[in-house]
Amino acid sequence: MTPLRRSVRLAALALVLVLALTLPVPAQAPKSGGVLTIHPLTAPPSLSPHEESTIATVQQVSACYSNLVYFDPAKKQESIDTVIPELAEKWSWQDNYRNLVVLLRRDVTWHDGKPFTSRDVKYTFDVVRGAPDAPVKLRINPRKLWYENVEAIEAPDPHTVVFRLKRPQPSLLLLLASGYSPIYPAHVPIADLKTTCVGTGPYKLKDYRPGEFVEYVRNPNYFVKGRPYLDGVKWVHIKDRSTQIAALQAGQLDVAGSGWNRTNAETAKKGKPELTVIESDSNVNDNVLINAKRAPLTDERVRRAINLALDRKAYLVGPRQGAATFGGAMQPRPSGVWGLPQAEVGTLPGMGDPVKQKAEAKKLLAAAGYGPSTPMKLTVSTRALAIYVDTASWMVDQLRQVGIDAVLEQIETGVWHPKMTRLDFQVALNLTGTAVDDPDAMFFENYRCGSQRNFSGYCSEEIDRLMVEQSQTLDRAKRLKLVHEIDRKLQAEGARPILGWGKQYAVYWPRVKAFPQHENSIFNVSRLQDVWLDK
Amino acid sequence: MAQVRALDVVADSQILPIERPRGSALGRFARKKPLGAAGGILVLLLVGTAVLADVLSTHDPVRTSTHVLVAPGADFWLGTDNLGRDLYSRIVHGSRISLLVGLASTVVGTIIGGLVGLISGYAGGKTDLLSQRVMDIMQALPILVLALVLAAALGPSLPNAIVAISIPIVPRAARVIRASVLGIRELTYVESARALGARHVRIALRHILPNTMGPFIVLATAQLGGSILVEAALSFLGLGIPEPYPSWGRMLSIAAAEYAERAPWLVIWPGLAISLAVFGTNLLGDALRDTLDPRLRGS
Amino acid sequence: MRGYVTKRLLIAVVTLFGMSIVIFSLMRLAPGNIVDILFESAGYVDQADKKQLERELGVDRPLAVQYARWVGEVARGDLGKSYRYDMPAWRIIKPRLPVTLELAFLALFFSILLGVPFGVLSAVRQDRPLDYVLRVLSLAGLSMPAFWLGMIIILFFVRALGWMPSITYVSPFVDLKANLWQFMVPALAVGYRSSALIMRITRSAMLEVLREDYIRTAWAKGQRGTLVVWRHALKNASLPVITVVGIEFAFLIGGLVVTETVFNLPGVARYLVDAILLRDYPVVQNLTMFIAVVVVLANLAVDLLYAWADPRIKYEKA
Repeated sequence: MTPLRRSVRLAALALVLVLALTLPVPAQAPKSGGVLTIHPLTAPPSLSPHEESTIATVQQVSACYSNLVYFDPAKKQESIDTVIPELAEKWSWQDNYRNLVVLLRRDVTWHDGKPFTSRDVKYTFDVVRGAPDAPVKLRINPRKLWYENVEAIEAPDPHTVVFRLKRPQPSLLLLLASGYSPIYPAHVPIADLKTTCVGTGPYKLKDYRPGEFVEYVRNPNYFVKGRPYLDGVKWVHIKDRSTQIAALQAGQLDVAGSGWNRTNAETAKKGKPELTVIESDSNVNDNVLINAKRAPLTDERVRRAINLALDRKAYLVGPRQGAATFGGAMQPRPSGVWGLPQAEVGTLPGMGDPVKQKAEAKKLLAAAGYGPSTPMKLTVSTRALAIYVDTASWMVDQLRQVGIDAVLEQIETGVWHPKMTRLDFQVALNLTGTAVDDPDAMFFENYRCGSQRNFSGYCSEEIDRLMVEQSQTLDRAKRLKLVHEIDRKLQAEGARPILGWGKQYAVYWPRVKAFPQHENSIFNVSRLQDVWLDK
Repeated sequence: MAQVRALDVVADSQILPIERPRGSALGRFARKKPLGAAGGILVLLLVGTAVLADVLSTHDPVRTSTHVLVAPGADFWLGTDNLGRDLYSRIVHGSRISLLVGLASTVVGTIIGGLVGLISGYAGGKTDLLSQRVMDIMQALPILVLALVLAAALGPSLPNAIVAISIPIVPRAARVIRASVLGIRELTYVESARALGARHVRIALRHILPNTMGPFIVLATAQLGGSILVEAALSFLGLGIPEPYPSWGRMLSIAAAEYAERAPWLVIWPGLAISLAVFGTNLLGDALRDTLDPRLRGS
Repeated sequence: MRGYVTKRLLIAVVTLFGMSIVIFSLMRLAPGNIVDILFESAGYVDQADKKQLERELGVDRPLAVQYARWVGEVARGDLGKSYRYDMPAWRIIKPRLPVTLELAFLALFFSILLGVPFGVLSAVRQDRPLDYVLRVLSLAGLSMPAFWLGMIIILFFVRALGWMPSITYVSPFVDLKANLWQFMVPALAVGYRSSALIMRITRSAMLEVLREDYIRTAWAKGQRGTLVVWRHALKNASLPVITVVGIEFAFLIGGLVVTETVFNLPGVARYLVDAILLRDYPVVQNLTMFIAVVVVLANLAVDLLYAWADPRIKYEKA
């Protein structure tokens, strides 16, 4: 062929090549069908999210319910910017964030066919906030405090709800978007919701066997047309971790990883390299409760010595197997929205050179009157569960290295919270997971005077005041500054030292598509309406 | 209740007052019962390890390190666990716990049970009837289930575990001793002692008790192995000895739950330790039973 | 004989009654009651709410009243309500029963299949190498913790052979092959240990019988060895063996508890452990009572069988 023809040909080839490499590959179209088998953290204590505080319930029941608003499953970092409508079509803040007006969708029915109206919304939140005229009183109500700021809830017409607040609170919307805030049906006795689920969500409950599985089937009348893609979802509980791994590898589970650590994920992948492993940050942290009201912890030097003795780097390698991040009371950046700057985090007690910090701890203890001949006796309490016991055993060893005669006390389920609430402990290792990465949830639950989850009994009027102030601050930059100020103070006082923030894992087969994983929560991501199977 | 049970093969037979073997009894025993001797050696090994635990360990069993889940090698003879603790040293120190709990619960259980059986068998009549029923009640549940419920009721701690394990032993010990006492009670020399006016307590202590020693020793050795197994099962289920005492049973529970595939040594070695310890006591117990009970020689 | 039977029945009833008191009291001994557990999963404790809840569940009534209520329920056959899951205990136990029953049955089957022939063999070849080997093997089986044997088996089967049964229970009526695939290995694990016990007892019983005079007479008369063994000896040794199989049940149940946990079988025994840890009083009480009833009934059945077979008792004067 002629040289011209040849160069034209080459140019055309080059063009095609360039286009092929630079044009985006068209995404696969989601396929309908299939049942997703997924492994939860553990079997749920009940099916009622408003009465529990464990991920086990929320993750296995989110498929059945809907919220007013939710966090976008596709956006990894949850924040006010990723809140999307669900049962709410539109909402607007009025009177300087003091009233929230929500306009509801009109095309929603409950799984039993009854229509969804504003009455259900008012009912749900009146019950949860413990309103004096609420039709039902919840026997167990862990999140009453979230809605303390709500003065009244009005339902002027079947598709409008108004939340009237006592003071401005922009973060209320985030609380409503949490997996812990689904809307309950007003026409179903609330006691029934512990063992069954009547919701408006993408899946209907098919069968619930306590301790074994929770099974869902597609809701054909779901208000989002074309969803869900799956025919059903089955949450199957296997008690033994290595059997979970084996079941995933054998293909009997499509998704696993809830509650796993890095070694588990690596083991699963090693056996079956085709598996996808997603490791993300999470807003669950290991923290130490120090009871400042009990000797010898009344001495500030002793409290600081304990904090210094716990080498965070060793914590990373040992109990966490390399999978943790460090921060203050709010989840560290970049995955957390409100975390302290990393440079500051590096100066917190326990983060520095372990040799120097342990030496300093010993000096503090000596100043407080303890030494090799008069060692301090200390009991470290924790829950009688494997993950707690491991980390607590590590803690005991660290304390022994600075000359403290520490022993471990394992407290059984059911006795733990009463004991903590009574402040019947010296030092305790605790795990805290908060539903939403927002100071309104984190600070109020764990540090507010008198909060039921404030286990170390910490109480400071000044911090309380600052907490309320940041909750009403509308300017984001200003609010961030206030939050950092609070966090700094909390770390300096060392009432509840944070050992580290953990990671979460999702391990699944490549045929599972669009499985959501957020990096600053584990609680708000299990609706599963966009997940599909490529079979 | 039914005449024949595992231990009743010993108990209901008449036990004649035998002479204590003298001289090189140990030598004769080892030659006649090589399996028993092997068992004896294993038991000695267990006791020796427990006593010399500090000397035999290579590391501090409680000390965590950054060498997490390391395979067995020169540094860590049997590898490390998920907190970087040396498995070999933990197993060596675990022998202390197993031996301590096993011995303590066996001793407590067999002594209490033995006393009940002695009084019950000797006194007869209403006392016997009543205590028999109580023993039946205690025996109506399998050992593990009873120990589980007790351990849950009392809470996980070392002394509570000993109590929980010793209680199921009491009725079994009582039954064995009672049967033995019943056999001896009717013997002529005991009757003559009574005729001569000796007090009951004196008869019980001087004539009857020494002759129940045989079955008692057999019972104790058999129960020792059983106690070690029950403790392991309790710890495995989460109700036994708590941290930081290294307990073989608990080592297995955590290993099984998390790292069995990644670190099989965590599963193999503690279990092997338990099995060898119990195997030794069982072999020894079998051989002792054969030696001390002439009627069953050869079985 | 009738006197014997009546006496045994009476004893069984008294035992069960005493057992009920013991079980009831034990559960109440534990620190932390069911209300604490309910709050635990909510992550906090509120004293006022707690008292209210205790009142609703009837946990605040005097113990004697609670006991009386429970006995009344048992008499009516009411299995009570799980405090934990807020549903009738029967609803939770019912799907789990076939699992435990199948496992127990298969395990018993294996234990007899292995234990009796080996016991006979061991007795007949007494003190020969085969006897020693069998005795060591059976003693090894009794010395291993049941759960450890299970773990080792899983390690071997899963890793080496890739055995992975269904993670949820498959009924034999739905898919027999998958069901057996699921149950064979755990049944063997439990059965091996039980078979060790049966082997030892069979051996002892056989040895005793073989020494009896009428056996020697039969040999002296020139009857063939095997015939003598199987016809005379086994028949007479069978009684103690049957006795042990009955007692075995108690031993088996202990094995079931750990085996169901290790092999992830959703059975009643595993649920018992969970319920104990969760302080679910009604469930624990009823299940433990159920086990006691089974054990007592098994013993009673064996006693009666013994009475019927042993002429000394059969013909005694009341």
